[in-house]
Amino acid sequence: MPPRAEVLQGTLDLLVLKTLETMGPMHGFGIAQRIQQVSEDVLRLNQGTLYPALLRLEQRGWISSRWGISENNRNAKFYSLTRTGRRQLRDEAAGWNQMAAVINRVLKASS
Amino acid sequence: MIESVRTLVVRFLALFRRRQLEGDLDAELRSHLEMAVERNLAQGLDREQACRQALLDFGGVEQTRQIYRERLGLPFLDTLLQDLRFALRMLRKSPGFTSVALLTLALGIGANTAIFSAINAVLLRPLPFPNAHRLVFVWATDSQRGITEDVSSYPNFEDWKAQSKTLDRLAAFTTRSATLSNGEEAELVPAVQGTPGIFELLGVSPELGRTFREEESEPGSSHVLILSDAFWKQRFAGRTDVIGQTLRVNEEAYTIVGVMPSGFRISRERPEQVYAPLARDPDRGHGFLMVLGRLRPSVSIRQAQTEMSTIARRVEEAYPNGNRGVGVHIVPLVDAMAGDVKTGMMIFLGVVSLVLLIACTNVANLMLARGASRMKEIAVRAALGAERQRILRQLLTETTVLALAGGAAGLLASNWISRALVESLKQFDVPRLADTHTDAAVLVFTFAVSLFTGIFFGAVFAFSVGSPKLAEALHQSGHQAAGGARGRRLRSGLVVAETAMALVLLASAGVLLKSILVMRRTAPGFYTENRLAIEFWLPPKRFSSDSRRIQFFKLALARAEAVHGVHAAALIADLPLGGGSDSLSFHIAGKPDPAPGKPFQSLFNVASSGYFATMGIPIHAGREFSDHDSADTTPAVIINEAARRRFWPGEIPLGKQISLGANLLTVVGVVGDTRQTSLGVPPRPEIFLNYMQSSPEWSWLVMVARSEGDPAAISAALKSAAQQVDPNVPVTRILPLDDVLALSLAQPQLWAALLAVFASLAVILAAVGLYGVVAYLVAQRTHEMGIRMALGATRIDVFSLVVGQGLGLTFGGTLVGIPCALGAARLLVHLVPSVRAGDPLTLTGVSALLLSIAFAASYIPARRATRVDPIVALRYE
Repeated sequence: MPPRAEVLQGTLDLLVLKTLETMGPMHGFGIAQRIQQVSEDVLRLNQGTLYPALLRLEQRGWISSRWGISENNRNAKFYSLTRTGRRQLRDEAAGWNQMAAVINRVLKASS
Repeated sequence: MIESVRTLVVRFLALFRRRQLEGDLDAELRSHLEMAVERNLAQGLDREQACRQALLDFGGVEQTRQIYRERLGLPFLDTLLQDLRFALRMLRKSPGFTSVALLTLALGIGANTAIFSAINAVLLRPLPFPNAHRLVFVWATDSQRGITEDVSSYPNFEDWKAQSKTLDRLAAFTTRSATLSNGEEAELVPAVQGTPGIFELLGVSPELGRTFREEESEPGSSHVLILSDAFWKQRFAGRTDVIGQTLRVNEEAYTIVGVMPSGFRISRERPEQVYAPLARDPDRGHGFLMVLGRLRPSVSIRQAQTEMSTIARRVEEAYPNGNRGVGVHIVPLVDAMAGDVKTGMMIFLGVVSLVLLIACTNVANLMLARGASRMKEIAVRAALGAERQRILRQLLTETTVLALAGGAAGLLASNWISRALVESLKQFDVPRLADTHTDAAVLVFTFAVSLFTGIFFGAVFAFSVGSPKLAEALHQSGHQAAGGARGRRLRSGLVVAETAMALVLLASAGVLLKSILVMRRTAPGFYTENRLAIEFWLPPKRFSSDSRRIQFFKLALARAEAVHGVHAAALIADLPLGGGSDSLSFHIAGKPDPAPGKPFQSLFNVASSGYFATMGIPIHAGREFSDHDSADTTPAVIINEAARRRFWPGEIPLGKQISLGANLLTVVGVVGDTRQTSLGVPPRPEIFLNYMQSSPEWSWLVMVARSEGDPAAISAALKSAAQQVDPNVPVTRILPLDDVLALSLAQPQLWAALLAVFASLAVILAAVGLYGVVAYLVAQRTHEMGIRMALGATRIDVFSLVVGQGLGLTFGGTLVGIPCALGAARLLVHLVPSVRAGDPLTLTGVSALLLSIAFAASYIPARRATRVDPIVALRYE
């Protein structure tokens, strides 16, 4: 099992947006679960940090929220991607990919 | 960008539903944890482990909440709101303190706002002309007579206009009275005669018709007239076909060519009704013009002044005869329009700022006294981890809230104060004062003053509280906590300052009142009871010949004396206390002039026979004019006592001759002095000519009549009697001589009354401040008093200890205040010229008054101190 990594500063937003895009409306616990699942438990997410991030995204108008009933009949707040959020995800993902490619190239060149 | 604005808005809105949003978060977190526990249970953990694991995964519920909360609203505004809520709660908790503080601040700020709104209306708001800040008033100066604001002659104006490069345009005007007649009745209206370019200089186009053409000022051209909007509406009901109509002005036909828009005004005295072109007057020695100019773009007043001074010197060298010592003094038009009032208003702005300072000091003192109990609260908060900065911010918020509320109340108060102010100044016709109202500038001023006030006394308070020494404050009882040496010294200092400021105001009011008392006691030199004055204006064209004038005088007097109830009637050109008399040069036969080329100077007046008897002015020697003096007999003059002392000291003046112009006049009588300008100005030498002999063409004429009883009863009859003689002579004013006397005291009395009101306000505030401090000191020293009394001190000892403290502070304030009051009194000369600054009696009087008020203010707490029961006091703590 590879060592667990902290979520990089600033990448949590991207992860949340991507998760909501793939999975549709989800509650906070679900989002946390999903991120950990997809990262095959490599990422160690402090679940608490998710909520300020969700608030920030909502304040920027990238996601919206409303109360609903979860799969096992609990009250939960569901988050979903807005139109601007979708656009933002596209931009950020592109930026990330570009950055990752550049870093990869640099790493390869120096090895 | 849009996003960050959006975020800001969302966060701002969140401030108002905090509780709901935070509740939301709690519910959300709860549901999260429950789901986590459920999942852990499903994975086979037991209940306790499941919970532990869920919390572990979550990582710090409280931190999350904290971060979330900070992110939710705007932390800065949040604390502010919190502070505000806290401040309001504190203020509500002590309604007594809050209402006293509010009232004090409302009075202090309200007085400032009221004076400022008047200043704003008269001095600050731009004049209703385009680019009004570039308009200037060009005064002539006369270094020989020491006059800095003098009228100019036409040739000088022409030279200035031709040579100035810093002033874009120059125009001149003079204010006149014009007689308008319609054949039946004559009416006198204020008029302005201006050079043709004057409207263009001011940048105002007529509402109707046109302005003057250049050639219309030349002699012999057709007479044209422009009307003011008010006159047009009143006389012609605003009809547009008024252009081209004719109006008879001073007995001649004038064609109306234009109407100026409403609000247009040139004269700073009474608003003018008509405008006529000003004809050229070639006499360089005849000063009668007021000159306006417009600064060229990017030229400063100073540059214009420099250039115009050079030009004036050139003109003086070219025409030394009539122009010796004539210079130029340029001031902004807005200042010239305000005139003397400006100084008065500035003095009162100073007065009300002193009142506000006293109010601030007072509130600071009140807060300090309350600080004792607050101290403990602050210490507790500091103990619980509040930062010093945070506590200071809280205190400042509290004082600022208080001051802003006080400011709002002050704004309301200022409405009443300024209405009363405008009403009481109405009789002095201050330009634009009637426009006083609350506009943006006044609001900004009030807000700024309130903010400053809040920060000022907040800072004083915070300074005295200092950094609370935790342990000490918590140990000590509430009473003693704020009793540190620093707090006590500061409080005493504040009381001393307050008393000093109150003394300055009180002493100023005192010297003003004193000078009015002196004036009231001054005999004007004539009787006013049962006497009436009727002012006429003799249209010069109609009465240019001696015979016509004399004819009118004789008929008018005869008719007046025939009116039932009239004992005697006579004529005079310048009524005493009227302010205006003409100073003329003359020679005395057989006496050399005081200096070569500088003849004797005296006031000259014109009287008819019986004038001195009618007025009750005593004849000291010789006789008064009689019906035997006529155009055919030797020209006679009568002199007053001051003239006898000045011109014929130790001689008998009767039979002596003087020459005035081409006339040789013989002194036939000496009469008692009257006050010519005002009661505060000593009588000056005055020489009376006779109306029935060849006299100068004086246009103003006053008939005085002595009646049986109330003079008001005969006024209508007298007026119609005069108008039966000649309907073209307008009556300008009728008033009892009692009113003339009252009028001459009106302005000084008004200033004194205003100052007295503010001074009493200051004294009341200072007394409240002193009471607060002494009462507080007594409360603080209860323990000590108990010990003293237990050790044998009598009640009188304790009483004098407390009162001595109050009196000591006040005495300190008096010592500081007296030199300041002496300085301030020097400024008061601008309000009432006869004020004497260093009046020891007044200063002693007001100091004694302040000390007795201080005694009264300390009396109540001192009585309380003597009632201390030693046993109770010693058990105290």
